[in-house]
Amino acid sequence: MTDTLRSERAAEELAAEHGVGDPFAAAIRATRMAMVVTDASQADNPIIFANDAFLALTGYRRDEVIGRNCRFLQGPDTDPASIEAMRRAVADGQDMAIDILNYRKDGTTFWNALYLSPVRSKAGEIVYFFGSQLNISDRKRAELELGDTRERLEAAVEARTADLTQALQQKTALLHEVDHRVKNNLQLISSLLLLQNRRVTDPAVKSHLRGMLERVSAIATVHRRLFQSEDVERFDVAAFVRDLVSDMMGGARRDDIKVRLDLERVDIAASKAAPLALVISELFSNALRHAFPPEAMAGRTGEVFVGITRQDADFRIEITDNGVGVENSASSGGFGLTIVQLLCQQLKARPQTTPADPGTRVVVYLPVNGVHH
Amino acid sequence: MDERPLDVLIVEDEVLLATELEFLVGEVGCNAVGLAMSSDEAVAMANDLRPDLALVDVHLRDGPTGVEVVRKIHDDCGGVALFMTANVKRLPDDFAGACGVIGKPYSEHGVKTALAYLTICLREGRAPSPPPIGLELSPAYAERWGVTALLRAVPHAV
Repeated sequence: MTDTLRSERAAEELAAEHGVGDPFAAAIRATRMAMVVTDASQADNPIIFANDAFLALTGYRRDEVIGRNCRFLQGPDTDPASIEAMRRAVADGQDMAIDILNYRKDGTTFWNALYLSPVRSKAGEIVYFFGSQLNISDRKRAELELGDTRERLEAAVEARTADLTQALQQKTALLHEVDHRVKNNLQLISSLLLLQNRRVTDPAVKSHLRGMLERVSAIATVHRRLFQSEDVERFDVAAFVRDLVSDMMGGARRDDIKVRLDLERVDIAASKAAPLALVISELFSNALRHAFPPEAMAGRTGEVFVGITRQDADFRIEITDNGVGVENSASSGGFGLTIVQLLCQQLKARPQTTPADPGTRVVVYLPVNGVHH
Repeated sequence: MDERPLDVLIVEDEVLLATELEFLVGEVGCNAVGLAMSSDEAVAMANDLRPDLALVDVHLRDGPTGVEVVRKIHDDCGGVALFMTANVKRLPDDFAGACGVIGKPYSEHGVKTALAYLTICLREGRAPSPPPIGLELSPAYAERWGVTALLRAVPHAV
C-alpha cells in the first residue's frame, strides 16, 4: 500500500469517526482559521486532514496536500532555526507556537503564526498532530517598517548630533581665536601708547598718554578677567578691582598713599563690564592724581578706599579719599569726569559726589536689574 | 651671590610688543640680549646666547610653535623660559618645562613686577613670596622655589 493510500485510508477513518452531526468536526471544517491534522503513526507524519481555510491560505488543492509532510510550505527564506525548533517539538511530542515564513503554491510568501500540538490516545500514545495557521503578514510588515523607521530615525539623530557637536567645536575654536585676537590687539594698543610716551617730552602730552594708557589697561584687564571665568556671560567686579588697583598703585609709585578694599563678590553682565571698568578706573585714577598733591602731604599718609556692596536693588560702588577735597584739587571737571558722566548714563547708574571731610566720596549706584526702581 | 643682571631673550613676532618689552626689561635692570621672531631663530639664539630667561609668545611667525621652543630651551639648552600669551588656558599641564606664564594683555607694572620677582627666584633658587598678580608659576617651579610650601603655610596669602 502506498503512503498516499494509507493517508487516504486514515483520513476516511477520521472522517467516519467525526461524520455529519459532529459539531466539533463541522466547526473545524468551516472555521476561517486554517487547520491540518497529521498522522503520527505513519513515517514522516503526513497530512490526513486540511480544512478549506488551509487550502485558501496556501493555494493548494486538497489532493495536493493529503499524504504529504507539511514541509512543502517551507522555502529558501524560511529560517532554518525555526524549522529545527519545529522538528524538535514534534520529536519530543511538545506543543509549540512559532512565527515562520511559509510559501504558497504560487511561490508567494506569508508569515504564519503556527500552533502545533500533539493529540494523544486514551493510552497516552501520540496518534495525531494538530496544526493551526494564522496569516500575520500584515503585522510582520508593520513590525519591519517600524524597525526600519526607528533605524532611520536613530541614524538621523546620530547625524544631527554629530553636526551639532562639530558646530559647537567650531564655535569654541572661533571664540578662542577671537579672544586671542582681542587680547593681542589690546596689547598692541598699549605698546603703541607706551612707545609714544617714551618719545614725547611735553608733560601735558605725557599726562594725556598716561590717561589713555590707563583706560586701555582697564579694558585689557576686563578682557583678561572675562575669559578666565567659566561663565563668559558674567563679570566679577571685585576680582577686577583687585587687579586694577594693583596695576595703578604699581604705576603711580606713591608710597605715601595706601589703599583699603572692602569688596563683596558682585557679578554683572559681561556687556556692562567695560563701561563700569572705565568708570571705576577713572574715579580711582582721579583720586590718585588729584587728592594728594605731594606738596600738601607733609609726611602724612593718604588713603583711598574702594568698597563694593549690594544695597537693595543697587550695587553700591564707593571710592573715597581723605585728600584735599574737590574745591582744593587741581581737577577741574576734565575729560575723565566727562567719561564718568557719559558712561553712567549708558549704564543707567547714578553717581553721587559728596565731601568726605577730609577728602571726597564718590558713590556709584548701579541698578542690579539694569533699571532704577 | 651673583648680582649681575639677568640676560633675557625675547621671543615675540609682534615687533611693537617686542620693542616695548625690551624697554621694560631694561627698566627693571635686566639685559635684553636678543629678539627672535620665529621658532628656528629662537632655538638658535637660545643655544648661542645662553640667556638666563627667555620670554616666549606661543604664536610666532611660523605658527603656534612657542610651546615647542620652550620645550627645547628647557630640554636642550637647560634654560628657563616664561610664556607670555593670550591663550593661558591652552598651555600644556606641565607648561612644557617653562617656569610660568604672564597672560596677555599684561600691564607695564605687571611685567616689571614679574621680572623683578623672577630675578630674585633665579638668583636665590627660592621665592621671596607668593608670585605677584599677573604671574602664574608652573607646578614644577612653584615646588622648586618653595612657593607651594609658602602657600601651605599662609593659605590666605593670595
